[in-house]
Amino acid sequence: MNDRFLPIETPISTGNSSQNVLESAVDAWFLQNGWSVFDFQREVWAAYARGGSGLIHSATGSGKTLAAWLAAVIAHTGRPGETLPLTVLWITPMRALAQDTRLALEKPIRDMNLPWTVGSRTGDTTSAERARQAKRMPSVLITTPESLSLMLTQADAREQLRHLQCVVVDEWHEMIGNKRGVQVELALARLRRWRPQLRSWGLSATLGNISEAMAVMMGTVDGGHIIEGVCDRKIVIDTLLPSGAEPFPWAGHLGFTMLGEVCDEIEATAKVGGSTLVFTNTRSQAELWYQALLAAKPDWAGAIALHHGSLDRDVRSYVEAGLKSGMLMAVIATSSLDLGVDFSPVARVLQIGSPKGVARLLQRAGRSGHAPGQVSRVTCVPTHAFEFVESLAAQRAASAGKIEARRPVTIPLDVLVQHLVTVALAGKDDTKGFEYQALLDEIRSTHAFAELAETDFDWALDFVTRGGKALHAYAEYRKVEQRDGRYLVEDAAIARRHRMAIGTIVSDASMDIRYMNGARLGHVEESFVARLSPGDAFTFAGKTLELIRVREMTAYVKPAKKIKNLVPQWAGGKMPLSTQLADSVRDVLEDIRQSRAGDAVPPEIAVIERLFRVQRAMSRIPSRDELLIEQIETREGYHLYFYPFAGRHVHTGLAALFGFRLGQLTPATFSFTVNDYGFELLSETPFVLSRRLLEGLFSSDELLASVLQSLNAAELSKRHFREIARVAGLIFTGFPGAGKSNKQLQATSGLIFDVFAQWDRDNPLLAQSTREVLERELEFQRLESVLEAMRKQRLTIIRSDRPTPFAFPLMVARLREKLSTESLSDRIARMQAVFEKVA
Amino acid sequence: MHSMLPIEVAGESLLLHPEKAVYWPRESTLFVADIHFGKVAAFRAAGLPLPPGSTSAALDRLDRAVADAAAQRIVFLGDFLHNRDARAKQTFTCFARWRSERAALDITLVRGNHDAKAGDPPGDWRIDCMDEGELVGPFCLAHHPEPDRRGYVLAGHIHPAIRLQGRASDGLRLPCFWFGQSVAVLPAFGEFTGTYTVKPKAGDRVFVTADGRVVEVSGLIGR
Repeated sequence: MNDRFLPIETPISTGNSSQNVLESAVDAWFLQNGWSVFDFQREVWAAYARGGSGLIHSATGSGKTLAAWLAAVIAHTGRPGETLPLTVLWITPMRALAQDTRLALEKPIRDMNLPWTVGSRTGDTTSAERARQAKRMPSVLITTPESLSLMLTQADAREQLRHLQCVVVDEWHEMIGNKRGVQVELALARLRRWRPQLRSWGLSATLGNISEAMAVMMGTVDGGHIIEGVCDRKIVIDTLLPSGAEPFPWAGHLGFTMLGEVCDEIEATAKVGGSTLVFTNTRSQAELWYQALLAAKPDWAGAIALHHGSLDRDVRSYVEAGLKSGMLMAVIATSSLDLGVDFSPVARVLQIGSPKGVARLLQRAGRSGHAPGQVSRVTCVPTHAFEFVESLAAQRAASAGKIEARRPVTIPLDVLVQHLVTVALAGKDDTKGFEYQALLDEIRSTHAFAELAETDFDWALDFVTRGGKALHAYAEYRKVEQRDGRYLVEDAAIARRHRMAIGTIVSDASMDIRYMNGARLGHVEESFVARLSPGDAFTFAGKTLELIRVREMTAYVKPAKKIKNLVPQWAGGKMPLSTQLADSVRDVLEDIRQSRAGDAVPPEIAVIERLFRVQRAMSRIPSRDELLIEQIETREGYHLYFYPFAGRHVHTGLAALFGFRLGQLTPATFSFTVNDYGFELLSETPFVLSRRLLEGLFSSDELLASVLQSLNAAELSKRHFREIARVAGLIFTGFPGAGKSNKQLQATSGLIFDVFAQWDRDNPLLAQSTREVLERELEFQRLESVLEAMRKQRLTIIRSDRPTPFAFPLMVARLREKLSTESLSDRIARMQAVFEKVA
Repeated sequence: MHSMLPIEVAGESLLLHPEKAVYWPRESTLFVADIHFGKVAAFRAAGLPLPPGSTSAALDRLDRAVADAAAQRIVFLGDFLHNRDARAKQTFTCFARWRSERAALDITLVRGNHDAKAGDPPGDWRIDCMDEGELVGPFCLAHHPEPDRRGYVLAGHIHPAIRLQGRASDGLRLPCFWFGQSVAVLPAFGEFTGTYTVKPKAGDRVFVTADGRVVEVSGLIGR
């Protein structure tokens, strides 16, 4: 503890002079820690001191937290001899981060002996601490969007927040693209109405749409500052190259070709005292790599660990602690470790498989090299040949600053429905609930609902008061009631149930996995357990387990003796290649197309040179303004391969659309397979492919209707409706530990969807479900622009007697669904051997 | 008119109706399980705004099955009322009117777990209520599908559904009639009820309803 810099006994008055005193204290504190203040931090402090708001962004953690936090510390001095009242709200997307944030905020105020207290309020906060907070709030409260919304429903919320000066929204890039962001926007709108001079500062990773990101946070508040956090660290993206000369597989199956090289990297990093973070794209891939690494290096047991979102919180905390203390040599992780504070011992970051997006790769790079002056580096580890191209493409896109945007959500009616009930619960006595116009104005002051039509607002209000059009005659329904011009919730049971359900995070229905003695390992999707029978083995948490029985929502397991593995098929593994990265892949292909024998090529391309040689020999490498279609006939039938390079979501939509349109012209049934580069249409019956027919395929006529019909969109919407039903409060998830009595109120979202589809077809929530499926699962806008580009591209149709290297991964992906694993890898090897002879 | 599928069970011939009911011609009796009457109303009472319509739709379907079979008696194999909140006014008025217009129909309820909590229906509905275990011919009437050595059990409770494997990942899950060695489980009659996927044993017979017909799928079930 050092109190030299801020003699607390000196009377502090508000005003510039005391701020100057504080700022020099802060300067000295930086010096004392061996740092110096960045210009951007001073910029934030100055803007803050003038009452300004804004967004601080940088690619990696570079002092954004201190920029925002010390701005508040310098500006708000409080009354002499008193701790500050609740002055700053600090919103973090993950409650697991709350503790680390707390430590980060506490350090400067403790070192400088400032009159601030730090507290947190999340789902993890104990009731004892809540009670303490009810008596006296800390000066800065760290909270999550869900806990904040809940806090705003409390009777004395406005009273407690009457001294609030600033809201900091941490990791805003994580929330802007989803409904949690909308929840934050609505909370900010509420707080700004209570405290019109309120400042708001967002902290964000670099995004392709950073000014939009700020506008979303600011709502109708004018004049925010966009401040870029410079950092003294360089970011390097490179590729792990194979040490041997054997040909690299053209299609990914398990992708362990580089296992030896990965072991060497981990070992080399450990020798210089650093840890390695090995990122994968899916949880099942993380499990597989963990097992493979242990099989290769049995003596690493205990020195490497696994981290993903399905593992029990305790297990994850243990792994995080091991990483922080440098105890662990390596951790194999998914996006579960993308967020969070710094793990200083991490010296090396590896990305297994496709990077998928530029921003994501940069974020992962930032996990290494935390000491000042060090380099942040991420190394891509390809699992099949095309991923060398992706790695190179990611490097180019990153150095050209082509970073993905995250588009904000607009007018989500399910969130509106939830918010209306939330606000109807709030307040006390004659300020309980809300008035029509005041709330409409408040909601419209957010970016998400700026364009909210009065008819939509009226519908949502009608839905929560009278159950919507369909329910007007039904007396037994009541949620929000109207009294003296105010809308409010009177029923205590409804209020309690709503408080339990506030939030927009919807996870898949999951089942606990426990040993017979009750020890919890984590959870997996219910649908996965449903496919298992007692005695079946599967890999989870790095262990091979045998299912004993399923009881209630728990799968009981024991360590398996069998070797047969069945890895959980977790959802969320099918992320598409981003537009930016896909674009860059086409640039790399163009370079390869134009290169001549003997030209110097990047090492990534040299490794897979053979693939392109064979592709040229059998077909061609398409130029940017060319659409390559390959036509092949095999024993299985008639194959068409298209290569738009637009990511798997768009390819799914295109494949279904083309199959549908072809099926209308010729009486053939098509099955399809997609990947990030293209898609395959397969028919058992022959058909004639003419240019005129192809042009018909690319037509924009009745595009939306055809896509919806071809993909059985009704089924997709029904599946997606789960999220909407949960957010809009149509599913009651039950109280923890309340037991069976609530079971009678449980129904699946599928059932609720059916009831609405049959009896209340025009319910806007159904339309919202379809809209969200189009946006998220099909990227419909991207599909439209890809189709438009296709209409302008030159068509090249190549007939071949065998699948080309471009077609090969698609063919393998289709076979994978049909064959067992062993025979598949044998078969792939055989097929590739045939190709190699062509080159 | 829907066509019913004849099958032989415990030496008796039964007809499976596509509206998820079983008809026993010798006794002119229609068996219906798990109608969960008033479930939607119970949800509304708890503040979940579900649209109405399913109550009268269920009664329309019941009418169709009764008419097709020319049944004189309905036996509900448990879970007739969903819970106490199902006793909402509109729901009750709706059923009372339906009942008064079908005075000649004989109705029996074998009490299930939901009925135990919801209570017996009002007396003027003239529904005979009894506990599980009543023997009629070779059949033992029940709600819970547990074997009873005194007879072949007709039951409901689990809302059985069967998963049929299509091409690749194109699986299909449908409510089903499940006739085992000593127990038959009827599909849930109520629409807003959900299902549970069952795994029949070899020798069991399984039927699904599709496009207004009952189809046997016993041979399609891969284990």
